[in-house]
Amino acid sequence: MNQPSYVVYTSGKSRKKGIEIWKDMCLELIRSRELISRLFIRDLIGRYKQSLFGHLWVVINPFVAIGTFILLNRAGILNIGHTDIPYPLFALIGLSVWQLFSGGVMIASHSILSAGGMISKINFPREALVFSAMGQVIFDFLVRFCLIVLFFIIFKFVPSWGILLFPFALIPLIFLTLGLGMLLSIVNTVIRDTANIVSIFITFLMFLTPVLYPVPLRFSRVFKFNPLSPLITAPRDLIAYGYIKEPTGFWIMSVVSVLIFLVCWQIFHLAETKLPERL
Amino acid sequence: MNKEPTKPSTLSSTDVVVKVDGVSKKFCKSLKNSMLYGATDIIKSSFGIKTKSDKLRKDEFWALDDISFELKKGEALGIIGPNGSGKTTMLKMLNGIFMPDKGKIEMKGKVGALIELGSGFHSMLTGRENIYINGAILGMSKKEIDKKFDSIVEFADIGDFLDAPVKHYSSGMFVRLGFAIAIHSEPDVLLIDEILAVGDMNFQAKCYTKMAELIKKGISIVLVTHNRYSIQEICNRCLYLKMGKQKDTGETYKVVNSYLSDVESAMLKEKNQKELSEKKDSLITKIEILDINNNVRNNFQTGEFIRIRFHYGIKEPIKQPGFAITFLHNDKRYHLSSSSDYIFHAHSYFDGCKIENIEGKGYIDLVFQHIYLPIGKYKYSIYFYIDNSFLREKHEDLGEIEISWSEGSSKRTLFDLPRKWELGDGK
Repeated sequence: MNQPSYVVYTSGKSRKKGIEIWKDMCLELIRSRELISRLFIRDLIGRYKQSLFGHLWVVINPFVAIGTFILLNRAGILNIGHTDIPYPLFALIGLSVWQLFSGGVMIASHSILSAGGMISKINFPREALVFSAMGQVIFDFLVRFCLIVLFFIIFKFVPSWGILLFPFALIPLIFLTLGLGMLLSIVNTVIRDTANIVSIFITFLMFLTPVLYPVPLRFSRVFKFNPLSPLITAPRDLIAYGYIKEPTGFWIMSVVSVLIFLVCWQIFHLAETKLPERL
Repeated sequence: MNKEPTKPSTLSSTDVVVKVDGVSKKFCKSLKNSMLYGATDIIKSSFGIKTKSDKLRKDEFWALDDISFELKKGEALGIIGPNGSGKTTMLKMLNGIFMPDKGKIEMKGKVGALIELGSGFHSMLTGRENIYINGAILGMSKKEIDKKFDSIVEFADIGDFLDAPVKHYSSGMFVRLGFAIAIHSEPDVLLIDEILAVGDMNFQAKCYTKMAELIKKGISIVLVTHNRYSIQEICNRCLYLKMGKQKDTGETYKVVNSYLSDVESAMLKEKNQKELSEKKDSLITKIEILDINNNVRNNFQTGEFIRIRFHYGIKEPIKQPGFAITFLHNDKRYHLSSSSDYIFHAHSYFDGCKIENIEGKGYIDLVFQHIYLPIGKYKYSIYFYIDNSFLREKHEDLGEIEISWSEGSSKRTLFDLPRKWELGDGK
């Protein structure tokens, strides 16, 4: 990261416009790639120090959630409905993809605030915090994916060739998560309720998204118009069937996600200079 | 971020590396309003709308007001001032953490900052791991850190603790490691906040030696400290901030003195006011320090004439009065054993001025043809005795006089004494 050799700090009246900002943003991102990876490794190693189970926690969580659902289904309290692939596998894939989003948004929205001491004392590209938070979540996802592979073996399930496209189908979701994470991290700095609201809202949102069960007949409209649905179901469809069942929704949401990412990134970039004094 | 690598305009031709031009920064006292202003400011700046940053809103105040200075290559600037005067805020603005609300800051070269130690350290990770993390935060690449790793470890000198989690470090070890990393990031401008105070004497000395070395190499340093000896050692120029205002800038010696005399006069003022209000029935009504032309002064050159005039107002006649004065050097090094040990004392009765009776208004003078007190500032106290040696009243630390070097003296010694050299006849 080579700092520019000449900088001017003013009250922000002489700010660049349009393309110039984007050039700055991209340069800054490239310059801070080493920092991002350092912060990522730091949090990765630091997170489970002094913990007994370490990274096992990443898989314990979905196990409990899926177990609960299986139990509720068996007891007849809840009717999950029919899934084309074994239910535990269905739920695990869904939950892993979902947690990529939910975990990402939650960790990222905390990222600025929890690094408050650092932000108000050191000058460094703050985007690095959000990107490295996303790195954490992707790492967790990879751990969970090992579990998915284990489930393939246990249930003697042969995934469709579409699994090769599976990682690419996650990209729009990652963009969306990054975008929302950046936006919420700023809002959370000023209004500390944000993180709590987000966490409640996301839990609620999960039940309106076909994560742990397929789209039910009764509220199908809610599920259909939930913009997250196609992003969650598409990757799973690829494993189960080899194709995306509702491609239109997926493509529209992909474009929307990238747009949200770009807008939020620019907002983040423009607002980050105002952050330290509000921490 | 609105830092912009524009064409070096004013700074390119000169060797000025930091230029601060009329910079102000405001803060908000109330948390609620701070939230509100923060929200509006952030929303406005995210959409590129101008914020009215140069006006105060409710509950806001100027933490720094109209500060201007320049720093050249290889120069060191000290920032001094009481707590809450905006020193750290100034450093944070130089570092680009806070943006100024008014004015402009121009910086040339890579900036290294030590505003608080251990920020960026992960408490669970070892010192070794943290060197890499902190290095990356300060803008070093892995290769660079690899190359300098041994040198960092050597400077930090924390021994076996290198592989222990930093949460077990003492605050001194934090400082050691943090400072070692920061100076190895090869900055052109180094910003250092009041942090070295935590390190032990040995390490502080090492740091100041290192800083002097860096300055010689052409690195510029901005140093915030309350240690006036180190600031005089390192910094050739100084900025004195008080309540966010720029009180004084210039040569370190001059600025530090103006700060110290501010502090002292504030203390004296408080004390004198208390004494005046307490003692309305005081018999000694006024003390005047006069020079040879009977002008009131409190700054004298060594060897000069001084007249100390004790004014009194006495209603009932008093037998065998005694007037006394003591001088106490301000620098505690010259105290004999405790703070009550004065360096000079004169008592009229014991000096042979035996008055039998005194009444009404009048004055008595104590005259020094040549004052040869050691150089420095003195507080004086006045005592009034009756019946030979019975203390009637005392006025401690009543005022201050300064004895300075006379022109042409060597200015190196504490004393200047009248003297004469005589050559023998050489037999």
